[in-house]
Amino acid sequence: MSLLLIFLDELKGYAKSKVMIVLWFGLPLLSFLIQFISPNDLEGMPISFLVSIVVSSIGGTLSAIMLSTSIVSEKNRHVYELFLIRPVRRSSLILAKYLAVYLCLVIAVSISLIFGLIVDAFRGDLMENYLNITFESLIIGISSMSITCSIGIFFGVLVSSVPVAAILSVYLGSQLSTIIILPTIFFKILNPIILALSLGITITIIMMSINILIFSKQQF
Amino acid sequence: MNKSTCIEFKNVSKNYKELLALDDISFKIPKGEIFGYIGPNGAGKTTTIKILVGLIRNFFGDVLVNGRKISNNWKDLNNLIGYHPQEAGFQVWRTVDQVFKTFGRLSGLTSEQINKRTQEILKLTYLSDVRYKKVVHLSGGMLQKLRLGQALLHEPQILVLDEPLTGLDPNMRFQFKKIIKKLGKSDITIFFSSHILSDVQDVADKIGIINKGKILTIGSPEKLQSSFRIGNIIEIIYAENTSLCKDLDSLRYIDYVENIKSNKQLVHLKADADVDISISSILKSLFEQDCKLRSFNLVEPSLEEVYLKLVGGETD
Repeated sequence: MSLLLIFLDELKGYAKSKVMIVLWFGLPLLSFLIQFISPNDLEGMPISFLVSIVVSSIGGTLSAIMLSTSIVSEKNRHVYELFLIRPVRRSSLILAKYLAVYLCLVIAVSISLIFGLIVDAFRGDLMENYLNITFESLIIGISSMSITCSIGIFFGVLVSSVPVAAILSVYLGSQLSTIIILPTIFFKILNPIILALSLGITITIIMMSINILIFSKQQF
Repeated sequence: MNKSTCIEFKNVSKNYKELLALDDISFKIPKGEIFGYIGPNGAGKTTTIKILVGLIRNFFGDVLVNGRKISNNWKDLNNLIGYHPQEAGFQVWRTVDQVFKTFGRLSGLTSEQINKRTQEILKLTYLSDVRYKKVVHLSGGMLQKLRLGQALLHEPQILVLDEPLTGLDPNMRFQFKKIIKKLGKSDITIFFSSHILSDVQDVADKIGIINKGKILTIGSPEKLQSSFRIGNIIEIIYAENTSLCKDLDSLRYIDYVENIKSNKQLVHLKADADVDISISSILKSLFEQDCKLRSFNLVEPSLEEVYLKLVGGETD
């Protein structure tokens, strides 16, 4: 019950935050710009594929920074005390944050991707093969964003300095999220969609469990 | 009639690694009392409070609320206690109204109850004008009132205030004390901490003084004052243009006499003086010399002096 309440509350807060406004409008704008700056010949790659890779990478990194810095800042300003004196589980606070930011991010990336698909349709590139590639890149993108968000929360609960949390999220968060595409490079027989989904879910669950454990041990 | 005990600390100790924050403290607070908890910074006030509200659960000893151990009843405790933290912030995107809505729902109130309580609290805390303002645009004093407001939302039986007057200007302090006095008239039990004695002395029914993790004394402000005489001094004020009493220093138990003004004397008694005998002999001498008196007082220490003496500060 408290998880749903806090999730809806966080969603309200994040949806109106400056970073999310940048994502809501910036990522679709970026998908348009990619069309103009990308070479005419993308060697068989649809615009929507390129869009999904670029926006999920940028969106994931920005979200990781936002999550880590907001958690550190809220810890330092003792925001959680007012929640924890009520019947609220610590895990709900962390899960609600993750779910709210991740949902906002998935919506922002999906909007951008729809723009990419529209551009592909106007260029006459919207073929079944392209749709498959785009769908594949979208799955990889949202799996990697899930990992990036959970890593952002990890740095948020672990460190107590906002700049340190931001730097760690930029340099490690986005780098570690690429872990889901590495096996497909070495083992061509692996299905990238299944691999991305299974690795994304497994790593996110492990990271979120660690995050909840660390957060539960902290003194407020 | 004896009031029933609302809060009881029984041999509570808490350490942070090697630092002993609370050292075997025990005290009781009856229902409906305003308990002022004072001590210098780092004395253990906030640790005591965080144990009481359930934010620190790892400690030695027992804490009982309404006769029940809090360690067995964390859920009930959340509904019984309203907590005003020393420095808790709010998420920057919230408005005052959203603060009440969120914390009201989390405390289990219905939408109707939240609306009703929000209006009552906004009126009580003089925050009605800023109901839809974002918390980032509120002044320090308004934020303190908002912290108090969220603590009162679910009509708790116990209100715990951790240094609520810190950083407030005199006008805000006055308003805040007025609110606390108003609340004190209801059945609510108030636990009020501060490092400034004057903050609590005119609102508290009882004062507890803590230093270095130990409770030094507990009592009503009057009891603390009378039981801690810094020195036995008698102040005599005479009518204007009249002569002061002579030879008082020759009386038994009198150490020395200080002439402060043309019409004021301070008579310092010896350390082992019997106050009642001394007063009788001084009065006798005054009447024999036909002195015209305006005032005759046994000087008692101020609460500030009692506090400084207990926590090891210097008095003038």
